[in-house]
Amino acid sequence: MMLPAILAFGLPYNTLVVAAGVAAVGGAAGVVGGLSVLRGRALSGDAAAHATLVGVAGALLATGQRSLAVLLAGGLVAAVAAVGLLVLIRRFTRTRDDAATATVLSVSFGLGIVLISGMVARGVPGSAGLERFLLGHTAALTASDALLLGLVSAAAIACVAIGLKEATMVAFDPAFAAAAGWPAAAIDMVLVALVAVMVVVGLPAAGAVLVTALVVIPPVAARQWTDRIVPLLAIAGVIGVVSGLAGVVISSLAPRLPTGPVVVLLAAGWLAVSLVVAPSRGLIARWRARRGPRPDAPSLVSGRDG
Amino acid sequence: MHGWAVATAAVVAAGCATVGTLLVVRRLSLLGDAISHAVLPGIVVAVLLGARPGDPAVLGGATVAALVTVGLTRLVHRQGGVAEDASVGVAFTTLFAIGVLLVTVSGSRIDLDPGCILYGILELVPFDTVAVLGVELPRAFLSAAGVLLVVSLGLWLTWRWQVFTAFDAAAARAAGVPTAAVTVGLLVGVSLATVAGFEAVGAILVVAMLVVPAAAAELLVHRLQWVLLLAVCLAVGAAVGGYLAAWRFDTSAAGMMAVVLGLEYAVAVLVAPQEGLLARGSARLAYAWRVRCEDRLAALWRAEESATPAAASGHLVARLALRWLRLQGRVEATSDGYRLLARGRREAEQVVRSHRLWEAWLGRHAELPVDHLHPPAEWIEHHLGARLRQRIEQDLGRDAVDPHGSRIPPERG
Repeated sequence: MMLPAILAFGLPYNTLVVAAGVAAVGGAAGVVGGLSVLRGRALSGDAAAHATLVGVAGALLATGQRSLAVLLAGGLVAAVAAVGLLVLIRRFTRTRDDAATATVLSVSFGLGIVLISGMVARGVPGSAGLERFLLGHTAALTASDALLLGLVSAAAIACVAIGLKEATMVAFDPAFAAAAGWPAAAIDMVLVALVAVMVVVGLPAAGAVLVTALVVIPPVAARQWTDRIVPLLAIAGVIGVVSGLAGVVISSLAPRLPTGPVVVLLAAGWLAVSLVVAPSRGLIARWRARRGPRPDAPSLVSGRDG
Repeated sequence: MHGWAVATAAVVAAGCATVGTLLVVRRLSLLGDAISHAVLPGIVVAVLLGARPGDPAVLGGATVAALVTVGLTRLVHRQGGVAEDASVGVAFTTLFAIGVLLVTVSGSRIDLDPGCILYGILELVPFDTVAVLGVELPRAFLSAAGVLLVVSLGLWLTWRWQVFTAFDAAAARAAGVPTAAVTVGLLVGVSLATVAGFEAVGAILVVAMLVVPAAAAELLVHRLQWVLLLAVCLAVGAAVGGYLAAWRFDTSAAGMMAVVLGLEYAVAVLVAPQEGLLARGSARLAYAWRVRCEDRLAALWRAEESATPAAASGHLVARLALRWLRLQGRVEATSDGYRLLARGRREAEQVVRSHRLWEAWLGRHAELPVDHLHPPAEWIEHHLGARLRQRIEQDLGRDAVDPHGSRIPPERG
């Protein structure tokens, strides 16, 4: 259904492969993000996301290579360092969580900008292309890049599938999970690490500034449709896949457009639709519920016992 | 040339730090983050409708966008049934994406590019001037100064309400403070400060200017007005220092200001009185050192009591502690080790007294086996004061011995 539509645009093979890779990233980000949103850590990835810029620039500076794998590895190191810094600030200062997140986020982004601007000013080869990590630009990806993104995403989904029971437990009641003898702190850290990984592989698609949306918006949209965790993760994954796929296609048709905003707005569109039409939570359903009970609904006050 | 750019950055920094202080103490830092991203579509729409950057219409558009962010956050939070931070994440990414898209699509009609949205074009500030009373002044400086004036005035007029709402919103509401209006006023202030900073230093640096100075100042001082003053000073310092550093190293001024702010925060974490890492570390070190010294004194005292020679060796810290005690005239070196001097003996006796009193008291009142009495006593011997020792002694009776049968030394002044 989707495939003929894409072929109809006459897109080259490379774009199709990249679209598939980014779709996998979107799906995995939705699934991983679902758990992190339920855990109440929706924005923990944001600080990591902004920090990736430092790692990407640092990797280029250190190795002189600009292959995606090297740059993303640098980004991952920086993302993990940012999360670690947040933990340290929480532990050793009385700065509150929100201020700590905003501090790490803005300062690490500033450092990234300093590195990139400095490298551009000195004409370091390859540094000009780093700007695509700000807002995402999939047009520059190659098929092997896309394969890398797809493989990492598949691994992330596999991790969630293996540890779903544990992650659910920790997401809903960390105190109980710890009391029941689960390694709650370790599971939490794995979850944070997965979010960091997804934020990093989401970089080429959405960019450092907007990649948070990949892990936040699909789960929030999925939340409107279900109260159960497996369907929630599945729906979030599907929304991520479709947004990623369509985002790449649209941005390959309009190469000046950064991919990030397109992907984000597609996901946000899903959310808007969900907020209106979802059964039982949606605006329409609520409006109808307020109009009066449905005719076939059992009535508590009528006194009939059926 | 550089002067105007630095002055603009400093004025922007002062305005952001002023409203940012209230955001931080109200735990709304992430809302500041969200607003600073989300004003973009407001600015772009205003410019598309014909306003020139820096016009009041742009400020208006941005303020509307900021309020839309807050409204959208509330809507997703309430209607969508998700946590507040998730709804903040939804709102600001969506609005920022709309803004970037509008900028890209409208192309040459707007002289903004996605890069300068994020990290500003401070370097160009001095070139865009307007004549005021015959003097050419940079437009960005004028609008930043105007915003600083408005924000400070607003804060000065509503200070008591702001503080009351920040620290106890429920009590403020009960006391008749229009808390909703106070909050909206604060958010309008934030969006004004954000817009003033947006063009010059970019979205992300605005976040840094809003949050980091206040977060650092909060570690250093405790009273809100001092936090505010210090935050403004730190922000202005970072603006000037960051600009100079960026000029020196030939890189982005806005990014460098954020880095300088980060350094200021790191220094604050280190040197904060009481809670700072240095203060806490040195207090810990001083405590550990005192414990070591007292342990050495007590060991010498016990050796004297049992008439066995005290082992002069021991690990490095113990040897250092003995040296220190000798320097202080508490012990003296002998041919086969160390010997207590009068002053050291008096102190050692009080440590041993605390230890044995505690063992005796625990032995009487807690149902612990005898071999479990030593560890707690070994710890508390460094903490008991004379009054507590006397009360324990009264409880035990005059001629008590400790559970191992050792004499409890008397209190010495």
